Amino acid sequence: MQQREQKLYEELGELARFVERAMKTISEASPGILSSSTQLPTASGHLSDLNKMTEEGTLEVMRLTELIQDNRDRIAKDLSAVVETLQAMDCVKLTERLERVKTVMGEDGKHLTEIMTALSFQDLVAQRVKKLVTILDDVQSKLVELVVIFGIQHNGESTSAEGTAGHLLKQLEESKKTAMKQQVADDILAQFGFK
Amino acid sequence: MPADPNMKILVVDDMVTMRRIVKNILKQLGFANVDEAENGQDALQKLRGDAYGFVVSDWNMPVMTGIDMLRAIRGDEKLKAIPVLMVTAEAQQSNLVEAVQAGVSNYIVKPFTAETMQEKLGKIFK
Repeated sequence: MQQREQKLYEELGELARFVERAMKTISEASPGILSSSTQLPTASGHLSDLNKMTEEGTLEVMRLTELIQDNRDRIAKDLSAVVETLQAMDCVKLTERLERVKTVMGEDGKHLTEIMTALSFQDLVAQRVKKLVTILDDVQSKLVELVVIFGIQHNGESTSAEGTAGHLLKQLEESKKTAMKQQVADDILAQFGFK
Repeated sequence: MPADPNMKILVVDDMVTMRRIVKNILKQLGFANVDEAENGQDALQKLRGDAYGFVVSDWNMPVMTGIDMLRAIRGDEKLKAIPVLMVTAEAQQSNLVEAVQAGVSNYIVKPFTAETMQEKLGKIFK
């Protein structure tokens, strides 16, 4: 009986030491956990911005491509009318040359459609980014849970700017604030005598 | 039955870029009467309010997914005969099987080309 009690105390002692070690490890990792949990919302915000930027760029390329397509269609119609007139006038050589132009324009029309379909990359990118943002949000809420469960305390110093991730996020944030519009650049250039 | 170039087509996708791409390809293929919807629910409302001859739909959309919309179309006496083409990034075999079981008319995996769209249209309206 005494032996069994002795064994039980030893096991409990080992368990207590394990819990202490685990608490120490978590405590050592706490600045990193705090830092990550504060960085994640900013990182997912940048990912959402990225989505918006690719969408705006894609829509502009589409707008211009559609303009070229419309112009090409108008030219193709006019060209067909000219070819018909020339055929009626028996201008064989000129008709042949214009037929070749029509063929090239037809090929360009195909290329323009290919440009449009190639832009579907934006939809695939956006879907993946959305999934990543959801994952980041989930990780962040789990980190917050960890912080609450283990009562990790903020030591007063800023942890969000620590490490490579913090440095990169800081750069991204600053680039948002400091990015210069062309008008501002032109104003400054004008002050230096550029016209 | 060959496709009527004047038939009204509904393009369903939550991404404005994809709707524009599909519309553009359809226009190049001679179909200019194209309307848009942002999700399955929006699409069903439009389908019930007008006469559409063809639906091109994404799978993943908020509010109502493409597969749920497809099931609703096939379960609606007035709409069930409308051909539905799925254009989606859901490239798992299980997705395709699910769509076929739900009554899809054909299936395109993104990214795709105008030729693929033309081929699928040819198969649906032969």
